[in-house]
Amino acid sequence: MADLTHDAFTYEEGWTAVSPRLITARRISLALSYLLVVVLIVVLLWVPDIPVWAPVTVGAVGVATFVWLWWLIGRRVRSFGYAERGDDLLVGSGIMFRRLVIVPYGRMQLVDVKAGPIDRMLGVTTVQLHTAAATTDATIPGLVPEVAAALRDRLAAKGEERSAGL
Amino acid sequence: MSDHEPSKVGDDLGLGLTVPDIGPVDATGRRRVHPITPVVQAVSVIPAGIFLAFVSGGSILASFGLGAFAGAVVIILILAGIVLAFGYLRWRNLTYWFDDDGDLRVDSGVITRKERRLQLSRLQAVDVAQPLFARLFSMAELNVEVAGSGDSRVKLQYLTLSQARALRNEVLARSAGLSEDAGEAPEDVLAKVPPKDLAISLLLRTSTVTLLLASAGFLAITVLSQGWGGLIFAVVTGGVPILIVVSEFLRYYGFTVSDSPDGLRTRFGLLRTETRTVPPGRVQSIEFVEPFLWRRRSWVRVRVNIAGVGNDEGNKKVETLITPVAPKDEAVQLVHRLMAGLDLDALEWQAAPERCRRRSPIQWRQIAVAWDALVLATRRGRVTRRLAVIPHARTQSVRVTQGPWERALDLGTLHVDTTPGPVSVTAPHLDAALAWQVAQEQSDRAHRGRGTDTSTHWAAR
Repeated sequence: MADLTHDAFTYEEGWTAVSPRLITARRISLALSYLLVVVLIVVLLWVPDIPVWAPVTVGAVGVATFVWLWWLIGRRVRSFGYAERGDDLLVGSGIMFRRLVIVPYGRMQLVDVKAGPIDRMLGVTTVQLHTAAATTDATIPGLVPEVAAALRDRLAAKGEERSAGL
Repeated sequence: MSDHEPSKVGDDLGLGLTVPDIGPVDATGRRRVHPITPVVQAVSVIPAGIFLAFVSGGSILASFGLGAFAGAVVIILILAGIVLAFGYLRWRNLTYWFDDDGDLRVDSGVITRKERRLQLSRLQAVDVAQPLFARLFSMAELNVEVAGSGDSRVKLQYLTLSQARALRNEVLARSAGLSEDAGEAPEDVLAKVPPKDLAISLLLRTSTVTLLLASAGFLAITVLSQGWGGLIFAVVTGGVPILIVVSEFLRYYGFTVSDSPDGLRTRFGLLRTETRTVPPGRVQSIEFVEPFLWRRRSWVRVRVNIAGVGNDEGNKKVETLITPVAPKDEAVQLVHRLMAGLDLDALEWQAAPERCRRRSPIQWRQIAVAWDALVLATRRGRVTRRLAVIPHARTQSVRVTQGPWERALDLGTLHVDTTPGPVSVTAPHLDAALAWQVAQEQSDRAHRGRGTDTSTHWAAR
């Protein structure tokens, strides 16, 4: 990770990383989606006229991508973070395709707080900011619910203070 | 409006087919759209109906005999009856009025009731649109657009032309805080696009030329190889651009831009006419588009983003234009009316570094970003040049993105987010440090810009 610290995509001062629980949550979703691959392999094994290398290939490719994605989730989640600054919020994400969004508080139109079933089980929440632009992509996944609620309230208060129409 | 000056908003075909205005529904001032609306709506599907009848009627008659044909006719009549009855119910249930706060209220819906309140202080645009069939009867629809997320428009279909004009004036006057019977503001025509220029410009667009060249290529291959496969492609690559050229020509025919105290008015259309009024200060961002073959004539197209307009009209995207084609200096003059104080010549451009050539070999020389006290501008594109301008006060958010290839070259892409519309303000593949620095500063400039912005208080001019 050392190579990341000296460029624009990591803002050091006041940077808050997301909860590592998100790694577990995303890995569970990954495992669930790979159940389908397992089912496919079992079905292939049952079909009589299929040569044995077919399920083996599917299995090998499946295991390889699974391990890669498993590893990638850890890195990606560690790249997520945000920083609350004086007049704007900074949201960063991504390893291969990196992105950093600056949202002035006065431009926020609404703040969503949401959590899917796996997220709820593990106690992680997503906070999403919306402006009048559809292209604003400011999503902070993997916050502990209390942190998320507090962040939402702070953002709403700051937004109210600085609100300036369109 | 003075008596000797006829209204500039909307027109009819001069057939003299008019219907009487209708009064308010009740004492509280609630109004309805015109009762012949269901008929006008039905009339507009008649050509399609006749076409269908000719195509399928003949084959039914030929293969199933007269009985089946009569049956089909009865079914069609029943369906038409249902459509008309539903149209009638829709008309019955739609009322609109101005409430005590001066906002426009619209109640509508047959099965699901919808009550809408349009806060006119947040008015973004007013359109008077006249589909061909409505023009026949000297009628019009009024579209009122306010700022808001999602569907924030109201369409009143159909009013008599005089009522649509009166309602438009009232909406504009109320939103500006003027007396409600202020009448139609006078206008000052700034530019009119000659039909010849429009036709030539559409033919010379990069997409048209490319597709037509492709069809010529396919035709050549077909002739040379003496096979017929290429013809299928040629029909598509030749047909699509011709359709686009024809439909844009009909849509933007007679495009006129004028200035009035209401804001900037655009008027266009051959069959379906539209008059759009954009109050000052509502333009979120502007883009000059300059296709390769327009450059010799120094023509540009000017597109704008206006909050709420052109992004949610059903599923089709509507390009919001200030002019479909105009000489460059004329276009710049028009844009000055929208953004007072804009000085494009004085901008100091920060170009992408030379290593950008390895990421974008064709357009790299064009890529640049610039800013002054008022706006941020980006430039990109080699074949079709694009110059986008956004006032600092209209910046929604700022993004810097970096893909793997950009990362290897230490490049970054700067996006300044604006409300949905045809314009996107993007400077791709800048030096990463510059992109990040400009993004940081843009956030500050946006903050300061909003503090000093007065362009929305336009009634005070």
